[in-house]
Formats: sequence, structure tokens, C-alpha cells
Amino acid sequence: MNEARRAFLKWAATIGSLFSGALVGLPTLRAFLSPAFRPPATKRWIKAGEVDQIEMGVPTRLDFAETVNDAWVETRALRGVWIYTEDGTEFIVYNGQCTHLGCSYAFDSVAKRFECPCHHGFFDLKSGAVLDGPPPRPLDRLETKVENGVLYVAYQTFRAGISEQIPVA
Amino acid sequence: MLKAVFEWLDTRLGLRALKSVLLDREVPDRLTWWHTLGSATLAVFMVQVVTGIVLATYYSASPDHAYNSIEYIQQQVAGGSLLRGIHHWAASAMVILILAHMIRVFSMGAYKYPREINWLLGVGLFVLVMGFSFTGYLLPWDQKAYWATAVGTSIAGTTPIVGSGLVTILRGGGELGAATLSRFYAFHVLWLPGALGLIVAVHLALVVKQGIAPRPRALEEGAPPRTDDPAYPEYYRGAYAATKSTGTRFYPDIVGKDIIVATLVVVVIVLLAYLRGAPLEPPANPTDTAYVPTPEWYFLPLYQLLKLVPGSLESVVAVGIPTILMVTLIALPLFDRRSTRNLLHRPIAMAGLGVILGGAGFLLGSALREEGPDAVVAEVGRPLTSVERAGRALYQSQKCSDCHTIAGVGSDKAPDLSEIGLHHSAAWIHSFVEAPTRFRSDTTEMPTFGPPTLSHTEIEELAQYLASLRGKAAPGVRAEFHDTFPSVPPR
Repeated sequence: MNEARRAFLKWAATIGSLFSGALVGLPTLRAFLSPAFRPPATKRWIKAGEVDQIEMGVPTRLDFAETVNDAWVETRALRGVWIYTEDGTEFIVYNGQCTHLGCSYAFDSVAKRFECPCHHGFFDLKSGAVLDGPPPRPLDRLETKVENGVLYVAYQTFRAGISEQIPVA
Repeated sequence: MLKAVFEWLDTRLGLRALKSVLLDREVPDRLTWWHTLGSATLAVFMVQVVTGIVLATYYSASPDHAYNSIEYIQQQVAGGSLLRGIHHWAASAMVILILAHMIRVFSMGAYKYPREINWLLGVGLFVLVMGFSFTGYLLPWDQKAYWATAVGTSIAGTTPIVGSGLVTILRGGGELGAATLSRFYAFHVLWLPGALGLIVAVHLALVVKQGIAPRPRALEEGAPPRTDDPAYPEYYRGAYAATKSTGTRFYPDIVGKDIIVATLVVVVIVLLAYLRGAPLEPPANPTDTAYVPTPEWYFLPLYQLLKLVPGSLESVVAVGIPTILMVTLIALPLFDRRSTRNLLHRPIAMAGLGVILGGAGFLLGSALREEGPDAVVAEVGRPLTSVERAGRALYQSQKCSDCHTIAGVGSDKAPDLSEIGLHHSAAWIHSFVEAPTRFRSDTTEMPTFGPPTLSHTEIEELAQYLASLRGKAAPGVRAEFHDTFPSVPPR
């Protein structure tokens, strides 16, 4: 077999396998990595309750179910927030997930602070600041609004474990 | 640095020795382009593995979610519809290529001594590929999936003696449902790939061990007439060695051609996927009586054959013909021991191949012609209910056909009603017939049929009849409903 033909076939084998590999491989890889390209979920206004029913001076845990499109399944997801108000007009609402690794945290009514049981993270009641422990950032504060005596919360989830507050897709 | 890493690996794994066995081996000279079909099939199989794995990461094998997860792939996954398109078209390509490869091996007599076992393994691979097709197209759980599988498993159920057991095992129960989908999925992604991978490995190992079969002529001159002649192996060794004397090497002489063909095939697949995508019909609806199921094209010859034979012979044809074909394929290398290899020197083989290909081609052709978009089935293919029959009588007595057409009968002054059931519900039709001006103020031609012209009972009968008209939509056309009722209540 002549050498020129052989050199061409070598070249064709290399180029051909790289080309067809890329032709199939790249769309496949793109589809596999697709979740990383999704835009973050937008915030949803959740009805938290009547303003005059919310106790003053003590944080209240509000759990609610939300209908979400979880990939191809429409389902109900359980969410939780902490609501705190001193005067019934100014509301502080935190996302119920600890900023460390996403556990649900509780309120310590003796020490007047939030405590995450997973890794002993402690947060200030009014500012959400980290008092002690491993959490990388303060509690995630959510936007609120009051309309016709009803408190609404803009629910959003943020990525745990990092110091920046980045919404989850 | 790279060289050092290679040396380190080579002393442990023997890479050089492996290369000389696999790539530098000498092969027969002047192999044809037809010899590239096997490796092209392998390339497409690798495409299926790669795309299939990613499709599986987004797929949910339950009747409640399967269809939605496919829609999710099509609409939400980046490049998901292209990915699904590649998997769909590659499936067809694989059937074509494996058939072409088999025809090549058959025509060149390459299944004869010493490659009988590799032919049998190849037949096994063919069966597995058909298994992949059959299990794969249930997975989207759309109309085609549901009905083709209902029909396909029912055919298996007509097998004498074992039929009822077979259909229950295939479906995982008496009827098509969650158990069927789950087990088809397991077959498609676990059983079949495992079996196929294993057989492909042995198939290829044998090709390496026995060498590629040369062109037929090289093994015919001076050959003993039969391969079971004691002198034949000796003759074969000599003749085969002679074909390798010119120093043609597997790499790059063969590999280069293989990859050129495989690349062309991949380009065509991706192009089709990009331009045509993969079809997705409406979700499976077990109560739909208007749907005409047609299988994938490679099952069409059998499907068409079933239409031609009387019912009493159905199981004989549906189960018998594939069985006879399989038995023939298996028996072929074991009983055909004449040493002639060129198809032109084997009249019986040539005639057999001609009959099978001609017959399958004819059936495929006639099935495809029948599928044409203007084949209108006017009524639903079931007996009309008494209410619908009363409606049909009213359609005639009210002379609707003076303006409208159903299945080509009537006048073209007003819209064709052959498919109205695909677009409007009986309730909508009732409202419209009762007072057309409610919907369109410009409808001047269509008379008002509300009382006293017709009673509400009569209008309902007419509406039921019209809603049953679902002229077969062109393939790929979705039934779209346009029912919007006027917001202003009637006077």
C-alpha cells in the first residue's frame, strides 16, 4: 500500500473520530450539564398570615406547602420561615434553612437566639448575624410586604455553605 | 514526560504488545468498502450508549411521569430535543447497518468455515437490536408507544401453547401498565446492553483471532468443494495466508476507511436529528378509539403482511414467519457447507436473499404508501352508538351535505367536517349548531338550528355524531382543540 494513501487514512482516522466524537459528545455533555445553565428561580410571594395574628416579641415558625414544578413532576414542597416582629408593623423574616448546610434551625427562648442543631451554629434574633459556630453568612432575610392586613413573604432559597448569598435555581 | 508515563504504563500493561496484536496485524488485501459496515454498526452502538445514558438521567419509568419527563427533555433540558433526536435516528441507523452488514457477510459467504460461530453471535446481536427497538419505543408512553406495544405483545400472545404465558411475562401482568413500562425500561437499559456488550466483545475478539474474511474469490480457486472436507482447513490456511502477503495492516489501512464511513453515518444521524428531531405523539390514551397505531418502519413489513392474511392464519404468519427466518439464519452456517463463497456462484442463496429482500421491500413500500396523509378514515372505526346514528340521520335530513363535506362526500361551500372531532368537543359543536352567530358574527351562511328548527336532544345527537368524526390526521399532526365558548351568555 502506498505511503501517501496510508498517511491520508491515518489523518482521516484521527480527524474523523475527533469530529464524530465531538458531534455526538458535545450535545450529550451539554444536555447532561443542562441544570447548571438554568436561570435561578424567581421569588414567589407567599401569604404568611394576618398581621394581627402574629405574636409580638417572640419569633414564630411558619411552615407552608408550596406547589412547585419539580422537574417533570408537579408536587407540593414543604418550606419553612421564621417571622419576628416587635411592633406588628416591621417584620423580619428569615428563610428556615441554616446558611451553613441547610438544616432546619430552632429558636432558643432562654438565650434569645437561633440555634442550628446540626453543627451548633448560633444566630442573632434581630440581625440574623452569626454569633458562633461554622455558618459562613448571616441568616437569609426575605423581603416582606403587608397588604390589607395580610403579611406576604417573598420566598426564595439560597445556596448553603458559602459566604455569598446566591439564589438556588 | 509523556514518554516516561507511557514507558511506566507499558512495562506494566504491555501496551506495545497490545498495539501490535490489535492495530499492526496484517489483514487480507483489497478489502471492499462493504467491509466497513460492521464497524459502522459498532460506532452507532457507541452513540446509543452515550446518548442513552444521558437520556436515562432525565427519564422516569412510570406511566404517571414518563410522558412528562420526555416533554421535560424536549423543552427544559439544554439540547435535549437534539439528544433525543440523535438517539431516535441512530436507532434506525443501527437496524439498517446491522442488516446491511448481515447481507454483506451473507453475500460474500463469510459465515462459512471458520467463522460459523461468529455468524451465530451476529444473529444473536441482530435479535438484541430488534429487542432494543421494541422496548425503546414504549418508553415515551405516548400514543404510538402504547398502541404499538399493545399490538406487539398481543402478537406474541398468539404463539401456540406458550402464548398466554409469554404475553403475561412480557407485560409483567395481564394488561399494559406500570409493570410493563418498568420492565421494558429495565430490559432496555440493563439486560439488553449487558447482553449486547458481552456478545459484541466476543464477536470482535473472534474477528481479531480469525482475521477479517477476505473477498470471496481468494478462497474459491482450487478449493475442495465442501468445507467439511478433511483437506479444507489445510487449503484455507494456505489461501488465507496468501491474501495477507501484500502487507496491508489493520491500522491505518482498514481503520481509516472504517472511521470515514462511521463519521459519514454520524453526520447523517445528527443532521436528521437536528432537522427532524424525534416524534412525540399525544400521551397514551387507552380509551382512544380513533387512533390507528403503526409500528416503526422496520416492523412495517410484518405489520403489512398481517393485513393481507385471513384472521385464521394470523398467528401462523405473525409468529411463524419470524421464527422461520430465525431458524434459517441459525441453520445457515451449520448446513451450508459448500465452499463456494461468491454470491454469483450460489444460485439458491441468491434466490433466497432476493425473495426475502424483495418481499420485505414490497411490503414496506406498500405500507408506506398506505400511510399517506390523505387516507381519510371518516368515522371512528367502531360502530356508531345509537345517539350518533340518530345524529347521522339528522345530518342527512337537514341536508348539511349541501354545504359541508365529510370524507370527500358533499359540497365545498362550507368547512370540511371530516376531522371536526379532532378540533372540537361535542359540547362546543352543540353550542355552535344551536346559534352560530354567538361564535362568529360574520357567519352568515350557516343557519341557526336552535329550537324550534331542532330540539336540544336532536342538536345533541348531531353534535355527538360530528364529534365522532376524526379523519386520520397526517402523521405527526397533533389534534388541537379550539373550544372557546362565547363569554356573553345567549339571550
